Amino acid sequence: MSTARRSPITGVFTFAGLVFLWAPLLLVVLFSFHSTGGLTFPFEGFSTRWYDKVLSSEEIRTAAKNSLIVATSTALITLLVGTLAAYGLTRASSRLRGPLALLFFLPITLPGLFIGVSLLVAFSRVQFTLSLLTVTIAHLVYVFPFFFLIARATLERLDPALEETAADLGAGRATVFRRVTLPQVWPVLVGAACLTFALSFDEFVITFFVIGPDSTLPLVIWSTLRRTIDPSINAISSLLLLFTMLMFVVTFALTSWSERRRRGRGLAEDPLVLAGPTKATA
Amino acid sequence: MATRPPRVGPLVLTAPAVAGLLVFFVAPLIAFGVYSFLTGSLYEVQTPLTLDNYREVVETDVNRTLARNSLVVGLLAATFSLLIALPMAYWLRYSAGRWRGIVLFLIIASFLASYLVRVYAWRSMLGSNGAINRGLESLGVIDKPLDFLLYNRFAVTIALVHIFLPYVILVLYAGLAPLQPSYLETAQDLGAGRIQRWRRVVLPLIAAPATAAFLFVFVLSAADYVTPQFLGGTSGALLGVQVQIAFVGTGDFAYGAAIAFAMLAAFLVFYALIALGLRLTRLDRVRFAA
Repeated sequence: MSTARRSPITGVFTFAGLVFLWAPLLLVVLFSFHSTGGLTFPFEGFSTRWYDKVLSSEEIRTAAKNSLIVATSTALITLLVGTLAAYGLTRASSRLRGPLALLFFLPITLPGLFIGVSLLVAFSRVQFTLSLLTVTIAHLVYVFPFFFLIARATLERLDPALEETAADLGAGRATVFRRVTLPQVWPVLVGAACLTFALSFDEFVITFFVIGPDSTLPLVIWSTLRRTIDPSINAISSLLLLFTMLMFVVTFALTSWSERRRRGRGLAEDPLVLAGPTKATA
Repeated sequence: MATRPPRVGPLVLTAPAVAGLLVFFVAPLIAFGVYSFLTGSLYEVQTPLTLDNYREVVETDVNRTLARNSLVVGLLAATFSLLIALPMAYWLRYSAGRWRGIVLFLIIASFLASYLVRVYAWRSMLGSNGAINRGLESLGVIDKPLDFLLYNRFAVTIALVHIFLPYVILVLYAGLAPLQPSYLETAQDLGAGRIQRWRRVVLPLIAAPATAAFLFVFVLSAADYVTPQFLGGTSGALLGVQVQIAFVGTGDFAYGAAIAFAMLAAFLVFYALIALGLRLTRLDRVRFAA
C-alpha cells in the first residue's frame, strides 16, 4: 500500500477553493488598470489613469499618510510591549500565567464592533477627543493577541538549556535576554510586528467608531463605496492590497528564514508558525 | 542540574501590556455593559439603573427580525466555511507534498487581504453588471442578468465565507497535525472503510478545533455590520447594524449597548449549547499526544 494518500477529489476541491479566495481580489486589481471607467467586463485595455487620479488626490494622500502613521506606531509599540509581555510570561513560573495569558488573548474573541463601541463609550465618558491617537490605541488592543500568540509560541520553542547555561556562566537576566534569547527570536518577532502593521493598515470595523474627523485608507474606501461607483476605488483597493501583501511577504520571509536557521538545513517546509493564533484558538 | 526556584520577577515585564489592556479593553467593556442598564437620551446617559433598554430590544420587531437574520447568516457562513475548509485542510495535510508551502502562503495571504476590499469585490462580482452575470451571458447560459445574486442573505453569506474561510482552513490544518498518515493506514488495514475512517479517526480529532472555528465564524458573522450594509438588502440585514446606528446615528448609547450585550448573552448561550453537545457526544475527551 502506498504511504502517501493521494486524494484527487480534495486536490480539485483545494484548487477550486483557491480560485474562490483569489478570483474576486484579482478582478479588483485587473480593473484598477482598466483604460475606461467600466467596472466590469468586457475589459477594454490597460492604463494607469486611475492610479494617477488616486495618487494626485489630496484626500487620499492624507488618508494614506494617516494610515501609515497609525500602522507604524501600532507595530512599533506592539513589538516593544508585546515582546516584554511574552518574554515575561514564558520565563516566569507563577499561577498568574494562566489568567494573564487569557487577558492577552481575550480581545481576539470579541467582534471588532464591541472593541470599537466600548472604546467610543469610554473616550466620550472621559471627554477624550477622537483623533489618530485614539485610533492607534484601539488598534493596539486589536492586534495585541495576534502578536502575543506568535511571540509566545516562538519563545516557548526555545531550548531553555541555552539561557540556563548563560545564566550559570554569570550573565545577568538582561544580558541573557540580549545576547542569547533575542538573537534567536528577533526575525519572528519583527515578522509578527509586520503582521500587526498589515492588520492595522487594513482595519475598518473598529476604526470607524474611534476616528473622529480624520481619515484612513479603509475609511476612504468605505465612503467611496457608499457614495458613488467611482472606478478609482479599484486603484485604492489595489494599493491597500499591495501594502498588506508586502508586509505579509516580509513576515513570511523572516519567519521561514528563522525556521531554516533554527533547523540548520533545507527550506522551511511548514510555515505554520504564522498560524500561531489559530493554533492557540484551536 | 538543580531546578530553579519559581520565578515571579519576569512577570513585571508584562505590566505595560496588562495595564494597557485593563485601561483600554476591560474597563471600556465594563463601562459599555453598565451603559446598557442606564437611561439614555441623545448622546447622554443617566441613572437610575433600569432594564427598560433590554425590554425595548426584545420587544422591537425590527430587532427580532434582524436577530433571526443574524442567526441564519451566522449559521450558514460557519457551516459553509467548515464544509469547504475540511477537504482543503485534509489535502494540505496529507496530499499537498511540495505544493504545501505555496498553497499555505496563498491561503494566509488571502486572509490578510483587506476586509472592505473583499466586500467591494463581491459587490462587483454579484451585481447585475458583475463578473458572474457577464460571464454567464457570454457563455449563453442566461440572456438577462440574474438579479437575485446581490442584496440578500446569499450575498452576505458568500462574502462572509470568503472572509473567514482562510482562518478555518488554518485551524483545521493545525488540528490535523497530530494525525499521522500511518494512523489512517492502520485503520484501513484493520478494515475501516472510507466513511468509518472519517467518523472514527478524523472526526473525533478535529471536533474541538472545528467547533472553535465554527464559533469564531458564527460570532464574527452575526455581529458584522459592514457586509450587510453593502450586500445585504433587506433579507440580509443583521443585528450589528442596529448597534452601529445607535452609536453613530441616533446617539442612543444605552439602547445600543443593550442590543450589543443581548447579542453577547446570546453568543454565550450558543457557546454553552455547543460545549454541552460536545460533551454529550464525548467528543470533548479526545486528546492526542503529538
